[in-house]
Amino acid sequence: MSNSAQNAPESVLRTEEDVRDLEKLIVQLQGLHTEISILGKKAPNDGLNLFKLKLVNNILAKGNSILTGHYKPLENFVTFDESTVPTNSDVTMVLALYIEQAERFRSNNMVYDRGWKYVVNGAASQIEGSAPTKIGTERR
Amino acid sequence: MAFFRPRVTDHFRILLPQADLDFAIPFLDEDIPLYVDPFLLWRSPSQQDQALHISLLNAFNHLGYLCANGQAAQAVTTLIAASECDEVGLGSSASRQGKRIGEAKAREILDLFKHIPQYNRNGFRHFEEIQFFVDGISKDRISDFTCSFLKSFLIDFTIHQCEQLRIPTSPSGVPQLYDSRKNLFVEAHGIQLPINPRNGSPLIFVPKRWLRFVPWISYDEYFEKYCPQDEISHRPEELTRVAVLNYNRDHYGVIETYVKAKERTFEDCRNDPLFAQIPITSAKRKFAAIKKLSTGKSDGADKRYEDLMGQLLPSLLYPQLDFAEEQARTDSGVSIRDLIFYNTASTPFLRDIFNTYGSRQITMEMKNVAAIERQHVDQLNRYLADEFGRFGVFITRYPLKRAELTRTIDLWSGQRKAIVTLTDVDIAQMVELFESKQRNPIDVLVKKYVEFRAKCP
Repeated sequence: MSNSAQNAPESVLRTEEDVRDLEKLIVQLQGLHTEISILGKKAPNDGLNLFKLKLVNNILAKGNSILTGHYKPLENFVTFDESTVPTNSDVTMVLALYIEQAERFRSNNMVYDRGWKYVVNGAASQIEGSAPTKIGTERR
Repeated sequence: MAFFRPRVTDHFRILLPQADLDFAIPFLDEDIPLYVDPFLLWRSPSQQDQALHISLLNAFNHLGYLCANGQAAQAVTTLIAASECDEVGLGSSASRQGKRIGEAKAREILDLFKHIPQYNRNGFRHFEEIQFFVDGISKDRISDFTCSFLKSFLIDFTIHQCEQLRIPTSPSGVPQLYDSRKNLFVEAHGIQLPINPRNGSPLIFVPKRWLRFVPWISYDEYFEKYCPQDEISHRPEELTRVAVLNYNRDHYGVIETYVKAKERTFEDCRNDPLFAQIPITSAKRKFAAIKKLSTGKSDGADKRYEDLMGQLLPSLLYPQLDFAEEQARTDSGVSIRDLIFYNTASTPFLRDIFNTYGSRQITMEMKNVAAIERQHVDQLNRYLADEFGRFGVFITRYPLKRAELTRTIDLWSGQRKAIVTLTDVDIAQMVELFESKQRNPIDVLVKKYVEFRAKCP
């Protein structure tokens, strides 16, 4: 796995575009997690093929750009190194941690204002979202 | 260390695996244990191969014509000349030199044109049928006859392949080249062919698609399944090959029925690969057996471990690495067995090993021990020289202990030698990848190398 120490600023939602990117990231992470979990249950120690690994790495890279600061899922991890043959269970575990942090970030940026709305630039926006599931961790 | 089982491509530094080439790569010192089966030309959908089969039969049947026209001596000379084709190097000879048939055997073959009315009238449709009538004629001779009569085409094929791959050629003399206009073997000079550096003799390549271990029309299969053994002798133990051959001469119909049956099932006739991977279930079974073995030498566990690994790894690493041979050596009174692979630099990793460590062959030393010790590392270190370059692999049961790992890292620091270890856990992953086909099993070796390099200063 590639290592790098990042001291990026804390994640915040500044525009409607940021909200859409976050929602897309969560859906993509969940989709990958579901698919690779199936492979992982069948053969946890089997390697993920290069095509899938590249997809996973692209989405993890997108996650790294959105989930920064306290939301960074794993210290010293950026993406999977293709030459190290990560197994299905390795990839499933990392995806699960990314999903947790993405959801924590989303939950911390939701506010109840006649329905659950995203907090954009420190104030409730008109963008509706599903109810937060990680309440009580950290509120901005 | 000297190069093990050198091939033509290795000598000329052509870095291509056998799987990517159209011809069987000849060894410099020994024959390829496969044979040209003329039936593969007959059953081929290619018009060229079919035409070559017709040309082959014409050449053979012309011998019958010569016999019928009082030129038997000429026919005998031609047949003897055709009975060996050293340039192609197929068969089981360890020296790339074969012996021609004698005059008596040639006459025995040519007599078939006289004694069997069907051949007298119509000639042969599949000349490999001679093995049903003449003792001492089998797959190697059939293959040699085929190559000799088709030598002109094979020379063109060789020249074409050499031009494509930039294999150097030199003007060479070919003492016996069949001239299909004159129906004679003539001596040819100045033909551009690759040269065997061992003895300076020309080499001729053979298309892989023509090769089989056993001909499709085979005496052994005929004897087992089609030959009416009871009719020939009521006491099976007395049924000799000669008795069957004599019976065949008087009962051509039985042979004809067998050949017709083989023609009907021609779609099942395929060329044999030069290397066949073991099936997935077999790989899993072998690994399961390895896991059950205890470490050390009790109950021959070390031999069994080496045998199983020797069967498993060449398949796991194919086609990226061509297997050369299993080698036994003795170092400081200890018997050591290695698996040696040709490094064809077919992947970025293998290219890197080739360029960085100068490894033209890769050695994998098998050690069924509870722990690799300092002396084992030293033994492998001493072995890493010349063609092996400075890259070696331990195949063992458990990861290296800290002291030995440090020693391998020191070897990298001091002499830039890389020693990578594949343990049971890695082999398990390789077998899993072999089954799932998600990645190449050799990627596990890459992973171990990357991990090793990460530990190096």
